[in-house]
Amino acid sequence: MPCEHYKDALTEAAATGVGPQGALRAHLTACDSCRAAFEQEQSLFTAIDSGLHAAANAEVPPSLLPRVRAGLDEVAVAPPPRWLQPLVFASAGVALAFVVFLIARPYHATPENVVRQGPVFAPTAITPGTNANPGKIPAAAAETASTGANPSHTARNSTFFHPVASSNPQVLVPADEHEALARFVATLSQRSDVATAFLAQTPERKDALVSPDLLQIADIEIKPLEGGEAEASHSVGEKR
Amino acid sequence: MQELVLIQPGSAARSEWVREAAQADARREFEERLRECGPLAYRVARGVLRNAADAEDVAQEALLRAYRGFDRLRDRSRFRAWLVRIAFRLALDRLRSAKRREQRDTLWSQPAHLPPPATAEDIAVSNQFQGHLERVLDELPEKLRLVLLLSAMEGYTIDEIAEMVGVPTGTVKSRIFIARKKLAEKLRCHANTIKMP
Ligand SMILES: [Zn+2]
Repeated sequence: MPCEHYKDALTEAAATGVGPQGALRAHLTACDSCRAAFEQEQSLFTAIDSGLHAAANAEVPPSLLPRVRAGLDEVAVAPPPRWLQPLVFASAGVALAFVVFLIARPYHATPENVVRQGPVFAPTAITPGTNANPGKIPAAAAETASTGANPSHTARNSTFFHPVASSNPQVLVPADEHEALARFVATLSQRSDVATAFLAQTPERKDALVSPDLLQIADIEIKPLEGGEAEASHSVGEKR
Repeated sequence: MQELVLIQPGSAARSEWVREAAQADARREFEERLRECGPLAYRVARGVLRNAADAEDVAQEALLRAYRGFDRLRDRSRFRAWLVRIAFRLALDRLRSAKRREQRDTLWSQPAHLPPPATAEDIAVSNQFQGHLERVLDELPEKLRLVLLLSAMEGYTIDEIAEMVGVPTGTVKSRIFIARKKLAEKLRCHANTIKMP
């Protein structure tokens, strides 16, 4: 068979680095000129590979990393996509508000509690829009009712940052845990897995957190006033 | 009794110190990526530009861009892939600039990292071949050039290259094969006229 026939096979064999096989191998053992051409091709690919290695593995100048570090100080990391941020904050806020609601529920200022319990000693988060009966007891009235018996109570034990008009939910936390909570919320914005896990666990924790027997107040005993007038005590108060 | 505060977690998270804490976290994480991938960015740029100073500029620019978009690129493999592509793209842009080309041409005869050959004749021959090889590399289609460059770098498997370039491993293999054959075709005449190293 003419040598020309093996030309491509010869180049392929040199390019792949696999030794000549079958008919080519047989031809190379018999034909000196093709064997010489094959060796030439092998040297060419060896030279190409070593040239590429030299071109691709240049020594990195030691000044590179310090230069980049110096440049970092002038660069701010772009915030995550705008649509993501409100979503994460909203989920985190809703979850936290729900947990706090569960904890604070026995003391929540409903009209019934205001009448029956009198002064409320437990903290109550008053969030505009969360009142169950906004028409009957406005938030401001509820605040007055719950603190009326002990006006200094709230001032002494709570620091109220008056809510600015905002869509962010509010939560009550101990003062020394304020920072920790903010840090946690910041983590949620970067770690969607944490946020998901947090939200997923909330329903399971519901039973553990609800403690309906914490505060037990005996029913107010209503007795008719002496003199036979069967009036409720609260309407007496109104007359005075 | 314990003091309680009413806060808005959302607005607290946006406060200055939280932003600073997040920035510090990002910086720390980025430092790891910088040590790991900085040399890669430089070598990709250097492979295209063949000029240490230009390659350093390009690598720096690519790394700073990566830092700006670091929130999207925190994943390790995503970061590396993005960095390789942006370094390659920036290097190509710079290569196309005629002004830089002139500068580079004067440095061409000094390849950076060849093992010292034995004789003066060998040095001349190997430098000449290296110069031709690198010139011919420039003529390869971009997608072949990047894959060939990465395959010649130490420390990266075919799978990693596939991940960086964003193509299947089979495509990487065939691109390497085609690129080497193209180089051989272009260098064959040259190899016949000069002695190869
Ligand atoms: Zn023959």
